Amino acid sequence: MTGLLEASAPARAVSARTRVRRRVLLLGACAVAALVALSVVSLTVGQMSMEASVALRALVGLGDQGDVFVVQEFRAPRLAAALIAGAGLGVAGSLLQRLFRNPLASPDVMGITGGASFGSVVLLATGASASFIPLGALGGGLLAALLLGVFAWSSGLTVTRLVLVGLAVQAGLAAAVNLMVVRFPAELAGAALQWTTGSLYGRTWTEVGAAAVAGVVALAAAFVLHRRLAVLDLGDESAGALGIKVSSARLQLLLTAIALASLAAALTGPVAFVALAVPHLVRFVAGPPTAATTALSCLVGAVLLLSSDLVVQHLLPVEGLPVGVVTATLGAPWLLVLMIRQSMPANRSSV
Amino acid sequence: MTSEQLAATEHRVPRDDASAPRRNELSTRGLDLRYGDRVIVDGLDLVLPGDAITAIVGPNACGKSTLLRGLTRLLAPAGGSVALDGTDIHRMPARALARRMGLLPQQPVTPEAITVEALVRLGRYPHQRLLSPWSTADQAAVDAALARTGTDVLREQPVDQLSGGQRQRAWIALALAQDTDLLLLDEPTTFLDLRHQLDVLDLVAELHAEAGRTVVMVLHDLGQAARYADHLVVLKDGQLAAAGAPADVLDAELVKSVFDVDCRVIPDPESGTPLVIPRHRPAGRRPPV
Repeated sequence: MTGLLEASAPARAVSARTRVRRRVLLLGACAVAALVALSVVSLTVGQMSMEASVALRALVGLGDQGDVFVVQEFRAPRLAAALIAGAGLGVAGSLLQRLFRNPLASPDVMGITGGASFGSVVLLATGASASFIPLGALGGGLLAALLLGVFAWSSGLTVTRLVLVGLAVQAGLAAAVNLMVVRFPAELAGAALQWTTGSLYGRTWTEVGAAAVAGVVALAAAFVLHRRLAVLDLGDESAGALGIKVSSARLQLLLTAIALASLAAALTGPVAFVALAVPHLVRFVAGPPTAATTALSCLVGAVLLLSSDLVVQHLLPVEGLPVGVVTATLGAPWLLVLMIRQSMPANRSSV
Repeated sequence: MTSEQLAATEHRVPRDDASAPRRNELSTRGLDLRYGDRVIVDGLDLVLPGDAITAIVGPNACGKSTLLRGLTRLLAPAGGSVALDGTDIHRMPARALARRMGLLPQQPVTPEAITVEALVRLGRYPHQRLLSPWSTADQAAVDAALARTGTDVLREQPVDQLSGGQRQRAWIALALAQDTDLLLLDEPTTFLDLRHQLDVLDLVAELHAEAGRTVVMVLHDLGQAARYADHLVVLKDGQLAAAGAPADVLDAELVKSVFDVDCRVIPDPESGTPLVIPRHRPAGRRPPV
C-alpha cells in the first residue's frame, strides 16, 4: 500500500474519506428511518390492531380510552425498553471492544450480562419493588466484572483468557439464575423466567421507567467521555502526556459500559449477540471506530433489538418465544466465526 | 501558509498560571525511578536549562527513556522530585502540565486508519473542556502544526500508510498542536534513515529557533547530539556522568568511561562541534562481548 502514496495519493485519500463519510450518513439515515417505522409498527400491531394515526394519537393521550390504555401502558413501555436496551447494548459492545482492543469483548461474552441477570433475580427474591431491579442489575454487572478482573487480570487480559474466563463467569451466573428460578415459588418463578433467556413480554412502566431513565443518562455519559476514548487509543504514554489519567479514564469508560449492559439486562434480561455483533456490522459498513460509528452502534443496536422483538411477537408461528432466543440463535454462529478468524494469524491484529 | 502567518498563529498568549515566571526549566532533585524493585535512575540531581535544546545520551539501558518518563510524570518517582520552574510536577493538575509540556514517545501507538489531521487534533485535548466544541483557536493550532511540520498536504491520509519519516512528522505535529513551551522527544530519529533523521533534527532546531520551544530529546548518535544540542546530559547506570555544553563535555575520556569505546574526538568539519571517531579495532583486539 505504501507504494501507492505518491502524487495521486491525496486525491485518492480524500475520495476515500468522503466515501466513508457518505456511508456513515447513509447508514445513520437508514437506521433512523427504520427506527421510526419499526416504532410505529410496534405501537400499532398487536391483539388489538389499530391505525397508525390512532396509535400515535393514543400515545399522547387522545382518542378512545381503551386505545390510550393499551398504547400507553403496554406497548409504549415495551417499545422504550427495546430501544434503550438495544442502544445500550450496541454502545456497550463498541466501548468494550475499543477499550480492550479485542473484537470478542462484549458484555455477554465477558459475563456482565449474566451478572446483571443474576443481580436482578436476587433483588426479585428479596421481594423488593420491581422498580429497584436496575440497582440489582448494576450490582450484579459489577460483581461479574470484578470476578473477571480477579481471574483474568493477572494474565494481562489476553484475548483467549478474557473470553474463557468471561464465558465461565457467564455460565456460572446463568446457572445460578436457573437454580433460583427452579427453587422459587411459582409466582416469583414466572417473573424471574425473564432473566433466563431475555424477553420483552409483560413490560410495564413499573419495571421500565427507572432503568430507561438511567439508561439514557449512561448513554449520554458514553458520548461525553468519547474524547477520552479517542485519546486513550494513542496508547498509555501519549494519553498520559496529553493530560489524561489513564487508569481513571479507562475505569470511567469501563463503568459506563458495564452500566449500559446491566441496565439493558434489567430491561430485557440476557439478550445475547446484539452487543457483540452491532460494532462489527457498523465497522463493516462505516470503517474504523470514531464518535460517528459509536452513534451508529447506538442506532443499529436499537433497530436490531426492536426488529427481533417484532419478529418473535408477530412473525414466528410459535407464540410467546422470547427475543433472546432469536438473538442467541443468530449469535452463536457469529461468535464461532469471530473465534475462527481470531485464531488465524493474519487477522490477529486486525481489530 | 507563510512564515508571517505562522508567526501570527503561534503568537503566545499568556495562559492560566501566568503569575509564575516562565523559564521552562526542568530540574530533578535526588530523583529515584524504579520498575518494581529494579532501580533505573538513582538519586539524580539535574537541571535542564530552559530556552535550549538538551540532548540526553548514554549507553543502552542507562535510564534515558525512563528519565523522560519520570520528567513527564508517566512514572512516579520512588524518591526525590521533578520540578518545572520550581513547582513539583506532581502537584500540578494533569491538564495544566499537559499545556506546559508535550511528549513524543519512542514507539507511539497509531490508532487504526486515523488520518493525519484527526491525529493532530487529539493534541488539543488538554485545551478543551469536557463539553466545549472544537474552536477556531483549536483549528488554528492544528493548521499551524501541520504547516510547521510540512504535513498539511498529508492531512487527509491515514497515518498507518505513511512512510516512517512522514509518520514521525505527523506525531511531532500532534505534540506541536498541544501548544506547549516544552517538547520532550524520546529517540525521535531511531527508526529513520539518515535523510529523515536530519529532517527531524532540523525541524527540532527550527522549532527552538523560530517558535521558541524548549526541547529535551533522547538521542543515540553522539555526533548529532553534539551538533544539534546546546546542552548535553550524559547518563551511565542511571547516574549523571557529565552535563554541559557539548564542546566542554564530550571528550575521549568520557566516551571511554561511559560507552567503553576507545575513540578520538575531533571537531566536526561542518559545524565545529565535537565528533566522535571510534578507534580501529582489528579482529584480535576486540574486547569479548
